Amino acid sequence: MQTRRTFLRQAAALSAGGILANRAFDALAGGQGRVTLPFENGTRELVAFPQKRPLIVLTSRPPQLETPFAVFNEGLLTPNDAFFVRYHWSGLPLSIDPATYRLRVTGKVDTTLELSLDALRQIAPPVEIVAVNQCSGNSRGHFTPRVNGGQLSNGAMGNARWTGVPLKAVLDKAGVQRGAVQVSFNGLDQPPLGDGPDFVKALDIDHARDGEVMLAWQMNGAELPFLNGYPLRLVVPGYFGTYWIKHVSEIQVLDSSFQGFWMASAYRIPDNECACVEPGTSPATTRPIGRFTVRSFITSLADDARIQVNRETVVRGIAFDGGQGIAEVAFSHNGGGTWLAARLGASHGRYSFHEWTARFTPTQKGALQLKVRATSRSGETQPLTPHWNPPGYMRNVVETVKVVAV
Amino acid sequence: MRSVIPAVMATAIMATATLPAGQQRTVTLPPETAVYVASDLPGYQLVQKNCVGCHSAHYVAMQPPGSGRTWWDATVKKMKKPFGAPFPDEDIAFMVDYLVKTYGAERVTTPGGRNVAPPRGPSTR
Repeated sequence: MQTRRTFLRQAAALSAGGILANRAFDALAGGQGRVTLPFENGTRELVAFPQKRPLIVLTSRPPQLETPFAVFNEGLLTPNDAFFVRYHWSGLPLSIDPATYRLRVTGKVDTTLELSLDALRQIAPPVEIVAVNQCSGNSRGHFTPRVNGGQLSNGAMGNARWTGVPLKAVLDKAGVQRGAVQVSFNGLDQPPLGDGPDFVKALDIDHARDGEVMLAWQMNGAELPFLNGYPLRLVVPGYFGTYWIKHVSEIQVLDSSFQGFWMASAYRIPDNECACVEPGTSPATTRPIGRFTVRSFITSLADDARIQVNRETVVRGIAFDGGQGIAEVAFSHNGGGTWLAARLGASHGRYSFHEWTARFTPTQKGALQLKVRATSRSGETQPLTPHWNPPGYMRNVVETVKVVAV
Repeated sequence: MRSVIPAVMATAIMATATLPAGQQRTVTLPPETAVYVASDLPGYQLVQKNCVGCHSAHYVAMQPPGSGRTWWDATVKKMKKPFGAPFPDEDIAFMVDYLVKTYGAERVTTPGGRNVAPPRGPSTR
């Protein structure tokens, strides 16, 4: 875990860098310890990457970093230096000059645009939205039976206040032509060698023009950390992180459905209501992954925590969904035997983490299974037994924390 | 909920976000620590030649230990096509054999251990 000295060193490095012409974000030397995630083969290093506190290393090249879960109890906004990182290709940019950075808008538009960052900011007044970004494979390591892929625990998610310009304003400036079907997005990251498929994603044209999808240059009031997509990333509220293209440099309006590998072959889920199949089987048909399912977590207590018998305990946590907003959160202190309504905190919008608290008093010593279950405003609720799919996406089972009353 | 920032605040954001020319941002990634588990199997030399050019050994080491030969075979082939890794087809069987015996369902394990090298293979972790 991070020490105060580490933090201060990093803060000093960042502020010193601020007065230099070339801001160099170096990694801090050495590993900062290890954690063991709660599944087989779950031991991970903690390493501080540039502009980041020590995070859980899933892979170092390309960087894939998971947020230690305790961070989610620090506040509803995930700090930039703790926000998870996910790349697909090790051919990521390592140096970007904002003065020469350009965003191209091409395809079925009246006018092809090549926008500098300053020009982009002048297209429309900036907007802000608080929204969760979550990796499609968040919590994959908890699947039973296990599935291959990035073996993440629950920390490939984060909640931030994003500042940028609506994608709609940029598309309107270019002038979308009749017959447009989808819009594709490409960033500066690319396959390191060979002819592997560039990481390109697409949204339907109506979604791209809904006024909420954003090109963001800030998170939590500061410029994007380099590894979170500096200087510009797509923000797709309520949708899994696979669509949130980093270092976005090319937007193409298409008159047909985009057929690139990362839409047509990867990031696909069973084409049924639960996006699930019998464990160990394959779906007959699939569709691209889309919105988050509803989830909730206890953040104030971890497994093996000790609480006082005959004393009231306040349990705190977070809930979120794909954009309906959280209607209610139920809490159980006895493994789901009985449930009580948790108290919801102030709303920061229907795409944000929503805080909840619940109070209970254990009346006897011993092991307790605490459970939490959120329901969205459309009535979607979390399953009591996990949904399973081959790629390990969209886990949202009711979570259990095992504590001991002493 | 999405909210339009008041005009005054918006001006402030734009002022701070406008950068002087030449303020290049550069990152230096930390040194890589993961290495492939040493082995006398011929695939050990091949994964070092064919895999490390694109990704760290973490991709292999983190997989569920029960991962079987069928999955490793499909994954090595996926790295070649469509992912573009330029290794010859004759390397595939050797790489798969090393991977499944070192990290997968056919590995030699000790109780509670992980990524244990096959006999005579000194661990480099």
